[in-house]
Amino acid sequence: MLDLFYIAALNIFRNARRSTITILSIAVGCCALTCFGAFINFTFEGLRETTIRTQLGHMQIYAEGYWEKHVSDPASVMIHDVSTLETALEGIEGVSTVTHRVSFSGIGTTGQASVNMSVTGVDPLREMDFADFEIVVKGRNLLPGDTQVGVIGDELAKGLEAQIGDWVTVMTTSLDGMLNAVDFEIVGIVRTGSTEYDSVFAKVPSDLVQTVMDTTAVERVVVMLDNTADLPAQRPEIDATIAALPEAYETRQWNELAGFYEAVVSLYNGLFRIFSGIVAVVVMFSVANTMTMAVFERMGESGALRAIGATQGTTMQMFLNEGLFIGLLGGTVGVILSLLISWGIEMIGGIPMPPPPSMSQGYQAFLLMTPAVLAKGFVVSVAAALVSSIYPAWAASRVNIVEALQKPC
Amino acid sequence: MGQISLRSVCRTYASEAFSLTVLDAADLDIPDNAFAVICGPSGSGKSTLLNMIGALDRPDSGTITISGTDIATLNEKQLAKFRNETIGFVFQSFHLLPVLTAVENVAWPLYFQGVKRRERMEIAREKLALVGLSEHANKLPGKLSGGQRQRVAIARALVCNPRIILADEPTANLDRKTAQGVLDLISDLNAHHGVSFLCATHDNLVVEHARQIISLSEGKLHMQEVLNLSEVAQHA
Ligand SMILES: Nc1ncnc2c1ncn2[C@@H]1O[C@H](COP(=O)(O)OP(=O)(O)OP(=O)(O)O)[C@@H](O)[C@H]1O
Ligand SMILES: [Mg+2]
Repeated sequence: MLDLFYIAALNIFRNARRSTITILSIAVGCCALTCFGAFINFTFEGLRETTIRTQLGHMQIYAEGYWEKHVSDPASVMIHDVSTLETALEGIEGVSTVTHRVSFSGIGTTGQASVNMSVTGVDPLREMDFADFEIVVKGRNLLPGDTQVGVIGDELAKGLEAQIGDWVTVMTTSLDGMLNAVDFEIVGIVRTGSTEYDSVFAKVPSDLVQTVMDTTAVERVVVMLDNTADLPAQRPEIDATIAALPEAYETRQWNELAGFYEAVVSLYNGLFRIFSGIVAVVVMFSVANTMTMAVFERMGESGALRAIGATQGTTMQMFLNEGLFIGLLGGTVGVILSLLISWGIEMIGGIPMPPPPSMSQGYQAFLLMTPAVLAKGFVVSVAAALVSSIYPAWAASRVNIVEALQKPC
Repeated sequence: MGQISLRSVCRTYASEAFSLTVLDAADLDIPDNAFAVICGPSGSGKSTLLNMIGALDRPDSGTITISGTDIATLNEKQLAKFRNETIGFVFQSFHLLPVLTAVENVAWPLYFQGVKRRERMEIAREKLALVGLSEHANKLPGKLSGGQRQRVAIARALVCNPRIILADEPTANLDRKTAQGVLDLISDLNAHHGVSFLCATHDNLVVEHARQIISLSEGKLHMQEVLNLSEVAQHA
């Protein structure tokens, strides 16, 4: 077996220029695939972290029955014993922040215009970690100790024709259905990264929301971990902690809540598959061409090998090994090339990207080369090289020995 | 019935324009331990005959039996084994693998028998020494002269200790001295190791060593036992 590989290697280096071109074309294909995959990885990670750290947290905890009844009977599905729950969750290692949210929709006005808005009540102290991903355009974010103030999305600010220092009045109903209103002063105008969310977004201290809704309960408790990757490992402990408490809860993980993220991931994964297909076809053409030429040139040798005792299978194996070898070399060079490119991009500080659809900010793109994406590029290249060698190798194994021997060696 | 036996063997090359019958119901019996040459003008079908005996080509009809085995009954795997173990080929234009050194070329048929590389190379070196090429063992065929390549090809044909060696013009590329050396070697194998030797040739030097002369004309084969001139000379 090793001897067959030895011959394959010798034969590859025999036509060094042609092999080099083939190997390079595989390498470029492999590299294009891994770079695309790594860029998608980077995008996924950015989107995931943005989604988690601005809105969803890693996990959300609700009173039992919340998803069934939060529209029809929100009052019946509030979390009442907030502090016990929060204290229990904070005790778990790897949990970085536990906070609560209580939100309502209402009609807001500054006197000029009335617009629909979605007001979220948060604990400014506990919410510090979430602020990272909100970009303050003007003014400031909420601070611990704030009472009758709030920040609003910049699109909402335009709709309201509001400035820093203006007072907004929001009309809504309390939990038991009474018409109610709340005022707050705008201290900051922010961007969340999503233009749609920016056009309804308002954030105020949770006390203010609880006052207007006439309750001390909260709607949900949000848990954020140090590390997204640790979630699967920590999930059981979190579940166990919650189950041990007197109140009954239900939970949702961030990915169950992030419909947008899931849609983007499946779109990009689809693109990646199509791109893999294209790269595979290019590699296959290149390798098939080289292998067909090799088979024709070495007709005489194939005949001689058969005459001295090679079976058809062995003859085929020898040419397949060559295709495999070329694929392995091309894939290896491709992987090295991809690592160099991602390192180079790191060195120059990323590639500036325009804002993606429905996002308000451009960003610096990097390549997130994971072992999985490198392996995919490598496997696609090697498999394509091997597959495209099958036919030439088969043809070589079926030559008429006498005719083949008429060709010179 | 001899070691090599042909019964009513026909072989016709047919194309749209014409058909050429090379062998026409030919019979032949070559005994064990033969030293036979096939004579005939160029294009008479010598190579065709050798190819069929060596199981590289099939007759259109008739049977070819080698050491009692009808080679038409062998499947592809058995044919490969047969070519490897029973027959040693020396081709008209050598057909060495250009990427392998002389000794690797000689060793290669043993690979198909599963012999380990080290052992293979050792046997190959012995065979190269037999044909007087020890100093050139590690050269690629491209760096050898025509005669040296021919000798590598002969060493390769010997490496599996075949019962029959088929050679197509084995001395055409050799000078007289080397040709004589190769013939002495073959005669020795023939005389002391029971190897049969069947060769197509125009070379009188080879014909002088032969004990059987097979003439090929108009599709028929004729074998004639002759006195081995060199043996006669030795005994004289
Ligand atoms: N594949 C083929 N198709 C058609 N005709 C062929 C083919 N191979 C050989 N022939 C013809 O068959 C005849 C016998 O060919 P062969 O090669 O056996 O002759 P030969 O006796 O070995 O000749 P030489 O001494 O020149 O080597 C020739 O006339 C040749 O033209
Ligand atoms: Mg011939």
